[in-house]
Amino acid sequence: MYRSFLSWRYLVSRPTNLIGICGILVGVGALILILSIMTGFLEESRRTVRGTLSDVIVNPLQGESANGRTISAHPGELLTALRADERVAAATAQLAWAGVITQRDDPEMFQRILADQNNSQLLGAQIVGIDVRGLERLAQPAFAALARSMGGFWPAQPIQDELDASAFLYSLQGDEPGEPWTVAAPNPLFPFASLKSAGSARPKAGVLIGEQLFNQLRMRVGQELELGTVVWDPARDDWQMNNRKFVITGTFRTRDNETDNGRIYLDRRELADFLGQSRRYTQVLVSLKDYERDGARFTLDMRKELAERGLIAAGEDHFGGRQEVRTWEEFRGNLLGAIENERVLMGIMLSLVLVVAGFTIFAILSMMVTEKRRDVGILSALGATPRGIQQLFLMIAFWDALVGGVLGAVIGTWGALEIDAIERWLSRTFGVQIFDRKVYLFDHIPSVVQPLWVGTIVLGAFVCALLFAAIPAWRAARLDPLEALRYE
Amino acid sequence: MEPRSRTSPRSSPPAPAEVVLAARGITKSYEIGERRLEILHGVDLELHAGELLALVGSSGAGKSTLLHCLGLLDRPDRGTVELLGVSGWDVPLVERARVRNAQVGFVFQFYHLLPELTALENVLLPAMIGESRLTFTGKKKEHRERGAALLERFGLAERMTHRPSQLSGGERQRVAMARALYLDPPLLLADEPTGNLDSATGAAVLELLLEEQRRRRLSMILVTHDEKIAQKCERVVSMKDGRIVGGG
Ligand SMILES: Nc1ncnc2c1ncn2[C@@H]1O[C@H](COP(=O)(O)OP(=O)(O)OP(=O)(O)O)[C@@H](O)[C@H]1O
Ligand SMILES: [Mg+2]
Repeated sequence: MYRSFLSWRYLVSRPTNLIGICGILVGVGALILILSIMTGFLEESRRTVRGTLSDVIVNPLQGESANGRTISAHPGELLTALRADERVAAATAQLAWAGVITQRDDPEMFQRILADQNNSQLLGAQIVGIDVRGLERLAQPAFAALARSMGGFWPAQPIQDELDASAFLYSLQGDEPGEPWTVAAPNPLFPFASLKSAGSARPKAGVLIGEQLFNQLRMRVGQELELGTVVWDPARDDWQMNNRKFVITGTFRTRDNETDNGRIYLDRRELADFLGQSRRYTQVLVSLKDYERDGARFTLDMRKELAERGLIAAGEDHFGGRQEVRTWEEFRGNLLGAIENERVLMGIMLSLVLVVAGFTIFAILSMMVTEKRRDVGILSALGATPRGIQQLFLMIAFWDALVGGVLGAVIGTWGALEIDAIERWLSRTFGVQIFDRKVYLFDHIPSVVQPLWVGTIVLGAFVCALLFAAIPAWRAARLDPLEALRYE
Repeated sequence: MEPRSRTSPRSSPPAPAEVVLAARGITKSYEIGERRLEILHGVDLELHAGELLALVGSSGAGKSTLLHCLGLLDRPDRGTVELLGVSGWDVPLVERARVRNAQVGFVFQFYHLLPELTALENVLLPAMIGESRLTFTGKKKEHRERGAALLERFGLAERMTHRPSQLSGGERQRVAMARALYLDPPLLLADEPTGNLDSATGAAVLELLLEEQRRRRLSMILVTHDEKIAQKCERVVSMKDGRIVGGG
């Protein structure tokens, strides 16, 4: 009984112990704060690295033979197979092809493009054809309303296509708050609907163009855009140059530099037509219901299943499908590895903060043991065992860790959650810009508080405090009680 | 050896009073540099139930050293100390600590109170050490009342929540006495309890202590330099150079 009572009394009657508590508090608080911000940054970078990739990308080697049949140039069968899996939220085909902007009618702009020394990529663009089934999408709420008016219920059926598969088109639905994608098109449900005023015999297809590209080329919505590309012509057994004019119907922004600076979206059928029907799709994008849980397993399953059904090549000489069915992480493996490394390194470095706090406790307790020699002797004379005395001093460290750890966890968590407001306040009060939002791609300081981490850190504080207290406590237990009792 | 004094009526009939404490052949030496200095040279001592024994002798005779050996605080080089039939230095450490806690009360010359605790808390310290958290908390009220009553009897009713630094020497020693008596141990060891007090205060404090000893029929060893005090005791044992030279 005396151990907890006395240790607490020693703690509160000795202001020096505040240093130990503060040490733990600062250590735990700083660790939580910095780790949360670090995690925030990493997750933000992860998002940047991921860019506009969907969960899983299926990239069959079209034209190769698999399981006795040729892999189809049409995505239909592959889509059906993927959508049948209950882990899949959505799947859609996309056709991505490299092209160049060839603005021959607008010499001024074409010159501007050609003269741009800073960005040699500006000329090139990734042309991506996607399916936007606006009509079906539009019909959905209408049916629901009709059913409701008749007293029935129309379950919202997911339309499994690009609209669900990639984050870009989520934004078209306008129901994904905080989504970094934004689209400025007159009609989000039909983003590629070209304007009537185009006037020629065949209305020109609409395209959405990345915002940065759009701004740098000083374009306007409604303006014509000429794109050029090369496709393989089997009839002539040669490459063929294709050019076509499109109409800019809007812009999009993903905050992913590369995408915003070099991607152009249009309807997949239009692009297939532009490419002379040589290709109808290049990838199938898959969105899973729970990527964290199912991603890896699903990918393995699909490599096997799709190979068996002859939908991907997956043979010995095709890496067993590893190149054809990939999670986005496998797609960007190297970059993610670097980020993970950074996090581990950071964690190790930050643990030193706790070690420093531990040293503080060690120093204070050592002082205290020397100072409390006489008390140790008295307690011993009154029947305390060496083990009891050891526990008494360990308990002081325990209180240090408890008070400092809990307060530190609370303050650190609060700080991590409110870091943006705190930084703004500090910047305002002291007139210095601490976090320059222009330098980073984010407009806020990212921070993610992970309860497991908080728990681990507090536990770490306990372990550290007790470990460092062990030596002085052990010394106290070995004190000769008489040494202390004999004299005043 | 003839006992110097046998004035108390209680011990005059040679009734076979129970032996509370029996020390046999206690030797103790200290190593100082190269040399080994023997302080106690085979001391035998018996203390009966309810007996008050004065231990006298010149400074450096080894009185305190002997008392620490008897109180299971300092291990003798040789010899045994039997406390209520238990050989104190042969039982495991935990058991010895328990005996110290429950069977032996110590009163030191320099009071030895814990400075962070109030007078009352100091008195309750033996109970805190001896009892588990659960037991102590369960009896907390009872403990407080008993501790307060004891302090009250020692004239410290107004001093319960004072820290030792806020008490006079005589008051401190009375708190220390209350602490030693709190668990009602059968044996009380007092090492010059008045050595640090002026004679008037010392006399008053000692009177209180002896009264408690009589009331509780404690077996007690009182180390003192004061001839007059020794005269009040039933038996006087005198030591010289680590040997008992009179009254043993
Ligand atoms: N730890 C120690 N190391 C060395 N010598 C010691 C130690 N403790 C005691 N002594 C010696 O043992 C002898 C006896 O000491 P002790 O304290 O028992 O005497 P005492 O009879 O109580 O004297 P006093 O009346 O002055 O209190 C002294 O000479 C002292 O110097
Ligand atoms: Mg002495």
